[in-house]
Amino acid sequence: MPVFKTPFNGYSVKFSPFYESRLAVATAQNFGILGNGRVHVIDLSPSSPVINELIAFDTADGVYDVAWSESHDSVLVAAIADGSIKIYDTALPPHSNPLRSLKEHAREVHGLDYNPTRRDSFLSASWDDSVKLWTLDRPGSLRTFREHAYCVYSASWNPKHADVFASASGDCTVRIWDVREPGSTMIIPGHEHEILSCDWNKYDDCLIASASVDKSIKIWDVRNYRVPVSVLNGHGYAVRKIKFSPHRRNLIVSCSYDMTVCLWDFMVEDALVGRYDHHTEFAVGVDLSVLVDGLMASTGWDELVYVWQQGMDPRA
Amino acid sequence: MSMRELVTGGAACAVSGSSSSSSNPLGALANALIGSSSKTQERLKEIPNAAAATSHTQFYDDPVAALPGSELDHPFLQSNAQGSDFIRGFRTAHDNGLADAWDEIQRQPHLDRVYNAAPAPPIQPTLDGPPQRVLSSFLHSFVDSSRSGIPLHPTPLPLLGLSQGDKQCIRDRSSIMARHFFADKSEEFINSQVNALLSSLEIDSDSHAKGPMPGRFRELEDYWNESQGILKPGAHAADGWVTEFSQHRAQHGDPDAWAHSFEQQHGAGGWASEFEQEQAQLTLVDQMRGGNIVNLAAIEQTRMLAHTLSQNDDPKFQNSKFLQFVSKMSRGELIIDDNQVKPASGSWATEYQQQFNGGASWADEFVHDEVSHGPAQWVNEFATEREQEPVDDQWVNEFSKLHVDDWAEEFGRQVGEGALGDSSSDNWATAYDEFLNEQVASKERSDASTGVYVFSDMNPYVGHPNPLKEGQELFRKGLLSEAVLALEAEVMKNPENAEGWRLLGITHAENDDDQQAIAAMMRAQEADPTNLEVLLALGVSHTNELEQAAALKYLYGWLRHHPKYGTLALPELVDSLYYADVARLFNEAAQMSPEDADVHVVLGVLYNLSREYDKAIASFKTALKLQPNDYSLWNKLGATQANSVQSADAILAYQQALDLKPNYVRAWANMGISYANQGMYEDSIRYYVRALAMNPKADNAWQYLRISLSCASRNDMLEACDSRNLELLQKEFPL
Repeated sequence: MPVFKTPFNGYSVKFSPFYESRLAVATAQNFGILGNGRVHVIDLSPSSPVINELIAFDTADGVYDVAWSESHDSVLVAAIADGSIKIYDTALPPHSNPLRSLKEHAREVHGLDYNPTRRDSFLSASWDDSVKLWTLDRPGSLRTFREHAYCVYSASWNPKHADVFASASGDCTVRIWDVREPGSTMIIPGHEHEILSCDWNKYDDCLIASASVDKSIKIWDVRNYRVPVSVLNGHGYAVRKIKFSPHRRNLIVSCSYDMTVCLWDFMVEDALVGRYDHHTEFAVGVDLSVLVDGLMASTGWDELVYVWQQGMDPRA
Repeated sequence: MSMRELVTGGAACAVSGSSSSSSNPLGALANALIGSSSKTQERLKEIPNAAAATSHTQFYDDPVAALPGSELDHPFLQSNAQGSDFIRGFRTAHDNGLADAWDEIQRQPHLDRVYNAAPAPPIQPTLDGPPQRVLSSFLHSFVDSSRSGIPLHPTPLPLLGLSQGDKQCIRDRSSIMARHFFADKSEEFINSQVNALLSSLEIDSDSHAKGPMPGRFRELEDYWNESQGILKPGAHAADGWVTEFSQHRAQHGDPDAWAHSFEQQHGAGGWASEFEQEQAQLTLVDQMRGGNIVNLAAIEQTRMLAHTLSQNDDPKFQNSKFLQFVSKMSRGELIIDDNQVKPASGSWATEYQQQFNGGASWADEFVHDEVSHGPAQWVNEFATEREQEPVDDQWVNEFSKLHVDDWAEEFGRQVGEGALGDSSSDNWATAYDEFLNEQVASKERSDASTGVYVFSDMNPYVGHPNPLKEGQELFRKGLLSEAVLALEAEVMKNPENAEGWRLLGITHAENDDDQQAIAAMMRAQEADPTNLEVLLALGVSHTNELEQAAALKYLYGWLRHHPKYGTLALPELVDSLYYADVARLFNEAAQMSPEDADVHVVLGVLYNLSREYDKAIASFKTALKLQPNDYSLWNKLGATQANSVQSADAILAYQQALDLKPNYVRAWANMGISYANQGMYEDSIRYYVRALAMNPKADNAWQYLRISLSCASRNDMLEACDSRNLELLQKEFPL
């Protein structure tokens, strides 16, 4: 399966919701600790095993995450380590980009999520402990959600309720928010260690998964969050990112500082369905294609982006 | 940009003999390490064709300010290395907002500056960082050498110049990230994490856990702007997506609904009160932002992480480049404490002695610092920042606090640790120390030569009847080092001879000594402010330095003083030069006389400035059709191709240059760089060695060579490299 080499360390990879062969990759120099960043937009060619780069955007600081617009096929937003969010239009020449630079976060922006139902808005999660809500037509954020006591690593919209989202933080909680409410509506003290990622089940709007430094993934039912529905153990180090499958209710993909990408079925006893050991450094970005069932992508600090079909060897 | 200017130093703090340019591996590593880097790794070079124009007025008012790297835009950041160390140290001991305010100033993002400089066309952020691979390989070789027990002498990473903000980035980000890997590894660590968490909860926004937050002020400002209704000027999308977007808006209903519902619930004042609340928080944070306690805590934390790391025997982990990186940081080898770069363990003593016995006492440093900054400016800034405090007292307090207490304490701690450290890490530390010491020494050397032309000591050409002619002859023969001496004799004899200075600058550039080249070119421009060749050369230099405003000025100056195109230049442009205007003028010039290679050359340079490499390559190729025998043009083409990540093509272009001029040291070195960029380190070594055989004084090439030797795992030849044993190297790496 095709591999794409990035000059910097990979941080995040996302499939386009419009084109099945298109992906965006966020990268940062020097492991995101200091240096530049670059957003790559890449295209799988159906015939050859080569991944082509369509366009790339350079930034003055590392890029920690990207999110495709759900409303326009060429627009994407990038989370920059300098605290800014940049909006790019891949259809425009490089000198017209970025379209916007939104600078409100006081520290690194670590996660972005575009609202799949209200397609004009997106969330940013930042190390300044806040989550901000943005729409493309406003120069400033619509709202700031400031309750977490430590870095917020990711925010994720509920796929059914356009006003509801969850945020995962280093304060060891996942918080559920309704943008119509002033404060969080639910606090899930999910792990004893920092929580790095969270995602909603795409079929059951009450199920949410959290991934933690404690190496575990926990699945929660927000109607009864005292006890997790399931705990997935198997990663050797902190779990960096998780994502529910858009095609199978019980399938979840994760990537970890143990350098592996894992697939889980959280409803069965032996939850670990597959383990991919292709990265040689921390695997920090993973995504599942909405348009092609079973198509996966991952990136890591080994500066490689892999795209492969579930069940295949990414390196084959 | 600021960080890069500090690190690569501009002309001002480059390591001696090497330049601020990224044509040296130092710069390359700096670029790789601190980013920003569209300072291209391989440099364009000035045209050597002799041509002269007579002088009238000086079009550029302040040549000194325009010195490459002279911190045109960052008056605070005088890149005098000791000076900045000093300031850095001075800042450390603060326990209020001053340090942060300064950081804020320092950390003005590159982008903003680019936009300010040229608001007309949104120039791309000027960054690409081609030499990332160099860094990775370098880290790898570092790892290898530590395992095999061979002390590695890292090629100087110019970390000493990192700005406060960068250091905070490194410290904060690495400590945040590192916690993700090791949190469950040791009891000690968990405790420290909990403590960090508690203290952060206490103050609500974790200045403890994350270290000081340089960004806060900006946020405040943003809020202020917001509350004032000043909208940030968004880029205007030229095409239809805005329209399309509005359509989507219509489909999705009123996007303001959220805002409205929020306002309904909280009243229109809801945001305002949120704003106030935040202001209060910010103030609190500022108050809480202690200096050293925080930092020591962070260091302590990473130290524990390092300990944990060393106990992990998973081979995959031990091979992780990142973990080595973090490990180095946590050892204090890469993390830079607020005061100064702190080499671990024993080197403190050495460094201490070097700094003090070497004659650079604190007082000296201070004086030095003052001189280079201009005392008035320094004091003014200080006074502005701290109006409420009596300046002198404050200064004395900070100074003594920092250097007597913290420093001694830190020193003791480091020494103590060094004594207890295990042997393998000692090796590592020692190697690192040596390199740091080298850095200190070389910095001291370079301080002397900041932006000033340095003449050779023993010059046999002094007293020569016609040194200029002799120099030209030697240059023609390709005996560049000799030519330098002859030309130096000329300009010592006739300091007003612009042509002598110009040729000297070109000779240095071809000999791969950019610092001297720039210094000489500045003198040439002083002597003859309208010399077209000099203007172009300086335009190229500033392009290399990514100083767009200065580059545009020189290139525009070239146009203005050109007999043929002078009419194109509109005098009213002088005060506000925008990239688009200048590029348009040159395009007009090119239409006016498409057969003039010079215009295409300038266009190529301009396109490098805007990073439109394809256009730049096309321009240079056009120029080459007109002047196929201009070897420096081939070199420019090669450098541009290398910058647009076409290293293979670049090698072909360099080969052309070398066919035309076999003694072109710079092209040999550039060739090596291109091979190294492609990971072909063995090949790159051969080219560096060839370049060095021609000019053993090319310090840059020695540094490149060192990196390539490490990357190619030829540690066995490092000694030959260090002792500059060319004979052995040539035998081992024949071309």
